[in-house]
Amino acid sequence: MGFAQAKGDNKMKRNIETPKDKQNRHKAMEAVAMLDKIRHDFIQPPKNMDYFYDLYEKVYCKRESLHAKSVKVGTMCIQVPYEIIYALDAVPIRLCNGFYTDDEIGSDLAPSKACPLVKATVGQFSSNNFSDKPDFVISPTTCDQKSKSGAIIEDMGYLVYDMEFPRTKESEESREYWRRSVRKFTKELSKNLGKKLKKSKLKKTIQRIGYAQYLYHQLNDLRKEPNPPILGKDIFLVTNAFFFDKIDNWIEATQKLYEECKIRVKNEDKTHKNSPRIVYTGSPPIFPNLKIPLLIEQSDGIIVADETCSANRLFNDMVSIDEWFLYDMVDAVADRYLKGCTCPIFTKNNDRIRRVIDLVKEYKAEGVVYQAFAGCQVYEMEQRSVIEAMEKEGIPILYLESDYSPSHLGQLTTRIEAFIESLKNRRRRR
Amino acid sequence: MNKIREFINYGDLRKFRFWLQLFFFIIFIYGGYMAIDLGRNLPIFSCGYARETGGNCYFLGVQHQLARPWSRLFSYASIGVLTGFLTFLLWFVVFNKAWCGYACPLGTIQDWITSFRKFLKIPYSTYTRPQYQFLKKIKYVFLFIVIIFPLMLGLGLLDGEWRGAFCKMCPGRLITPLFVGDYSQWTLDFSTGTALFLTAFGMGFTVVFFVGSFIKKRFFCFFCPMSAMHYIFSDWALLRLKKDGDKCTKCGDCYNVCDMQIKDIADDVKSKNILRDDCIFCMKCVAACPEEDALHVDIFNIKVFTSTKGGFAKRMNINNKQETKK
Repeated sequence: MGFAQAKGDNKMKRNIETPKDKQNRHKAMEAVAMLDKIRHDFIQPPKNMDYFYDLYEKVYCKRESLHAKSVKVGTMCIQVPYEIIYALDAVPIRLCNGFYTDDEIGSDLAPSKACPLVKATVGQFSSNNFSDKPDFVISPTTCDQKSKSGAIIEDMGYLVYDMEFPRTKESEESREYWRRSVRKFTKELSKNLGKKLKKSKLKKTIQRIGYAQYLYHQLNDLRKEPNPPILGKDIFLVTNAFFFDKIDNWIEATQKLYEECKIRVKNEDKTHKNSPRIVYTGSPPIFPNLKIPLLIEQSDGIIVADETCSANRLFNDMVSIDEWFLYDMVDAVADRYLKGCTCPIFTKNNDRIRRVIDLVKEYKAEGVVYQAFAGCQVYEMEQRSVIEAMEKEGIPILYLESDYSPSHLGQLTTRIEAFIESLKNRRRRR
Repeated sequence: MNKIREFINYGDLRKFRFWLQLFFFIIFIYGGYMAIDLGRNLPIFSCGYARETGGNCYFLGVQHQLARPWSRLFSYASIGVLTGFLTFLLWFVVFNKAWCGYACPLGTIQDWITSFRKFLKIPYSTYTRPQYQFLKKIKYVFLFIVIIFPLMLGLGLLDGEWRGAFCKMCPGRLITPLFVGDYSQWTLDFSTGTALFLTAFGMGFTVVFFVGSFIKKRFFCFFCPMSAMHYIFSDWALLRLKKDGDKCTKCGDCYNVCDMQIKDIADDVKSKNILRDDCIFCMKCVAACPEEDALHVDIFNIKVFTSTKGGFAKRMNINNKQETKK
């Protein structure tokens, strides 16, 4: 087109690509490459996955805005209560980022050995390039890198609210501390938005998000079948979409997907009946960095369950309320984000090990793949204890370190293929 | 069978409990009018000072029985004491601590006071951990008064004014007769210093009972010697509160709804038997648990009521009907 124009005007006019355009082009290329693989490299994904494929294309390739009219609250970690943001008529957008393009930009601002997720998030902020730009940023003080990156982002001129989060979860003191932190956050946010938190509204959102969680649990239950109707790479897309999608649309699409999967189970639709069943744990795969889940499933493994903050942990624990008043609802919501959380930032983390073992048993998995982002200290440090616990239980486990760069694919593929092959051998020997 | 199971597990525990509590309240407070008499060895605070009870608290009887002189206490004359105790145990063993959560009139009154507070939209308060750890011991002091004081009386170490000491201190003696229009217990006994102390304590405790249970759920049960007594024998009970720690995510939902602030219910993933001394067996924790079979109530190792995702969703009124308009 540029060429035709130049001919018509009879002078040379070149469109010079701005850094922003370049960034968008690169990101779209990353997104489209991943989407294409997820979409076309496997036989028969559920038809209702199309909603999610299209959604990612819209948001990440065409850069369409989903929440143009709403106030957007950016969240830097899973611990920011969705219920409260929705109840204040704002939209939460999780800013944990999976783009290598942004990771590279962020590398100039954060230490080179920092976690790629944090770098990518910082990178996106520094380029100030959002399809849905957050009006506020909430940064819970979870891991060191996230806590510090909140300050870096604030220096760039964003409105950042540091939400204090305890690093132990057993004690009553930390529970009370976190409850206070959530109450304070609620007050501050409601002041900033100029909205009062209403009892009926919070009740409705708790039930609404509860329903989203319930749907996810039901969908997950189907993955316990000997012939799971949906693959892990698709589930990661579904859960990832909860980061930014309109909640009502998400619920509707997931409901349809669940109905379809139910039928698929009944009809014994062939997917991967003989593939080794894998539980995925560790650093969160966030679109488009779904390469490890994808590699597992391309190597004929099948992810039947996961323990990550971009999927399972996002939906796992539901809120229960004794007295439907603000005082009880806000506190109960706070509990949800602390007590059941299996994030490795906590001092002790037997809960995470217990969860992984329970998932292996419940979902009849044969092996565990543990990914840690190079630079994610807490996952790296917890690796040894998890491997020991798995060995004790006789569960094969593969530990991988990876980042967002596309360069180690060969090595990773070999290791994953070998692991899955060994699982198959193990099965034969039994 | 599956349908019945689903009906129970998906049931509305709140309603079930409300009606059952009302039923037992009528039986125990007004049972006399209907010629119901379940004896004098019940493991609940159905006070014998009230005229029309359908059965009496065991503590009234046992304090008098144990107060006899020791020569008589350890003779064949005390077979009655033993049978009394066995009847108490038989009653208890059937329902375990569910007597507290479902049948005890004093417990029910506290729940009604809680409902009244909820109606006024006033938040409840809770104890901090150190307060809790300290206060929960008090019930054993009361149990000591119930069991050991009468024995000391029998030995002659205490004088007769200490007869039935706990009853004089117990808010149940003042409160339950009110429901049949009897205010006669609301008096101070000025005859001796001890009697004055005991009755004044009782009256003070009753006032504290009303104020306390207004701001704190099941306030009195922390201090209840019957609860302590139950716990001693709870290992023999048929009805059991059990936990499958592997399925627990420690989300704390059960702990959050627990009237008695029992932290173990959420954090202890090793014990199978999760009943604790403070527990009133109200089963709210089971109803609030979102994990399949993580908490359950058993009789002879058969699950009669168990936590389910579906039941949780139903009780929390989670469904797709209400659209939040955006």
